[in-house]
Amino acid sequence: MEVGRKIRDWFEIRIGLDEFANVQFREFRVPRNSNVFHTLGLVTVIAYMIQVITGILLLVYYIPHPEFAFKSVQEIMSTVSFGWLLRQVHVVGSSLMVVVVFLHMASVFFMGGYRKPREMTWVVGGLMFLITLMFCLSGYLLPWTQLSYWATTVVTSIPTAFPYIGDFISRVLRGGEYVTGITLGRFFALHVSILPPLFLFLMLLHIFFVKRTGLSTPPFGLSSEQQNPWTEYRRETHPDGYPFYPHFVKKEIFMGMLYLTLMFFFITFFPMLFLPEDANTPADPLRTPSQIRPEWYFLVPYQMLKLVPNKFIGITLLILLVAVFLLWPFLDTKKEPNILKRPVLKTVFFLILILLAVLTVWGSY
Amino acid sequence: MRYLLLALLMVSSLPLGSFAGYREKFEKEFLSKPWAGEQVEEDACIACHVAEKMDPKFKNIPQSWKMSIHYQHNVSCHNCHGGDPKDAEMSMSPQRGFVGTPKYTEVPEFCGKCHVGILKNYLESGHGKALKSTGKGPNCVTCHGSHKEEQYIKKASIDIINERLCSKCHSYERAKIMKQALFLTEKKMGELEEGFSRLKAEGVYIEEEEKGLFNIQAEFRTLFHTVDVSLVKERTDDFAKKLEPIEIRLKNTFSELRFRRNFSAFIMLLFAGMGIVVFILSRPPKE
Repeated sequence: MEVGRKIRDWFEIRIGLDEFANVQFREFRVPRNSNVFHTLGLVTVIAYMIQVITGILLLVYYIPHPEFAFKSVQEIMSTVSFGWLLRQVHVVGSSLMVVVVFLHMASVFFMGGYRKPREMTWVVGGLMFLITLMFCLSGYLLPWTQLSYWATTVVTSIPTAFPYIGDFISRVLRGGEYVTGITLGRFFALHVSILPPLFLFLMLLHIFFVKRTGLSTPPFGLSSEQQNPWTEYRRETHPDGYPFYPHFVKKEIFMGMLYLTLMFFFITFFPMLFLPEDANTPADPLRTPSQIRPEWYFLVPYQMLKLVPNKFIGITLLILLVAVFLLWPFLDTKKEPNILKRPVLKTVFFLILILLAVLTVWGSY
Repeated sequence: MRYLLLALLMVSSLPLGSFAGYREKFEKEFLSKPWAGEQVEEDACIACHVAEKMDPKFKNIPQSWKMSIHYQHNVSCHNCHGGDPKDAEMSMSPQRGFVGTPKYTEVPEFCGKCHVGILKNYLESGHGKALKSTGKGPNCVTCHGSHKEEQYIKKASIDIINERLCSKCHSYERAKIMKQALFLTEKKMGELEEGFSRLKAEGVYIEEEEKGLFNIQAEFRTLFHTVDVSLVKERTDDFAKKLEPIEIRLKNTFSELRFRRNFSAFIMLLFAGMGIVVFILSRPPKE
């Protein structure tokens, strides 16, 4: 204990840890009516950290070359000590991370957390969601299996629906006409060295915005925004709220544990849920599987593009929807922050959720 | 601000929208071969055999081939028949090694280009000697089939020895004794193969042992082609010994899978327990 106190004092004298902890965690307060959905941001950080750690450990054994990629992944699964666990956590974690980021965004939308002054927080969050999907896309090809090869062929052919630049985009992604070893190299670079720092930067920016503006108060009741319209910078300090530490931190830890329990539930009882038969067969560019579908998180655009008779209109519509999603805080300038008092927006919100579920299920058949 | 953004989105979509539908080729491929399929190897053999003008008796060949064990192992038309599948004009040229359909008595050598060991034992057997001396004995396709008349070459198994097939030429009695001699080893090899498939479905791939099993299977089937019951009986113990280490490795791998499941269940319960404790502790502070 004496040694611990000495180390603590050593840091305290030099960087004032106590003051830092007080300001950042004890004096930083969260709204009284905050709920579990407010914790999803930190759960995303946990999910990201898990992906980074397992990803780095997998990198020790993975070989990004068409001849060795599949074999190295099989080695990880079969002979490397606890390699199976690292891969399973990475695979299941990638899908769960998409779910968590989506839930975070949906709950922020429902609670009006995107409204002034948090427009930039929303946009950065939206970009992080898109980067998460890019992580999934680029990581999916790396094991070089039948499933990953053909699912990547599917997704990288989507841009070709664009006139003039479509072929170019597809070529840039694939590094040629087809998905080859060059594509593997590009996706590997994207997955391990381009996207992670980009995501980290956006995450820090996102946290910075959250810290500067304070956590948003759920608008169910009279909000401070209605009482005091935002005409100049101020932080929502929630003087009557709970301190971030220990109250909110405990909630965050609980949600983190729930996330990990869920992850290991899938690994224990459905280990092959995200690794079907084609995910255990080496890629064969000359043999097209009977049914090719992208991974579940891409089923919405996949099914949408299948349903819209003109593919170009389909993809334009998709891009417009993404643009509206990202820029929504600037498009929604209604004074009323409570979605429950806005029947049109409420209906659209639930319709979109139902539509996403329907398209995902439909796309999987 | 809102109107400015909406206007920008609209304006940017208008010129793009004017090109809608211009890419007919993409449309066609997208709908008929959704998402992929462009990297299919050009194959002149298949292109001709499925064509309208092809003689109906040869038209079914690509379909039969696709159902065969050869297709599963990437053995294509030119691997057996020679020729050049990438050059339609020269695809059946003898200069490019085209053989076409071999004569009845030359079938063993035709298949034996790849199945070398089996050819040797077959030629030494009663079957092979009968074929070479009388020109009427059974050749490879008699038992294994070909791609003629809706047949396809199935994976070799003990089921090929059956009364219907064997009694075409002789009584089934001798063949039955041979089948009994083969039964236990074949059954064991079948079980091991099924084990490997189950492991693959679980994401575990033990290549070395699988290759080992493949080699033992090939050796055992080579032996069978001598049609010498006493020799098969004599060597059954040798094969059982060879299969033993593979069986042990397979058993160990299944135990490892059970350990994995138990281990992740343990971690799941650990996190669930910690979650419950934290939940109890995380009630809001008293006023």
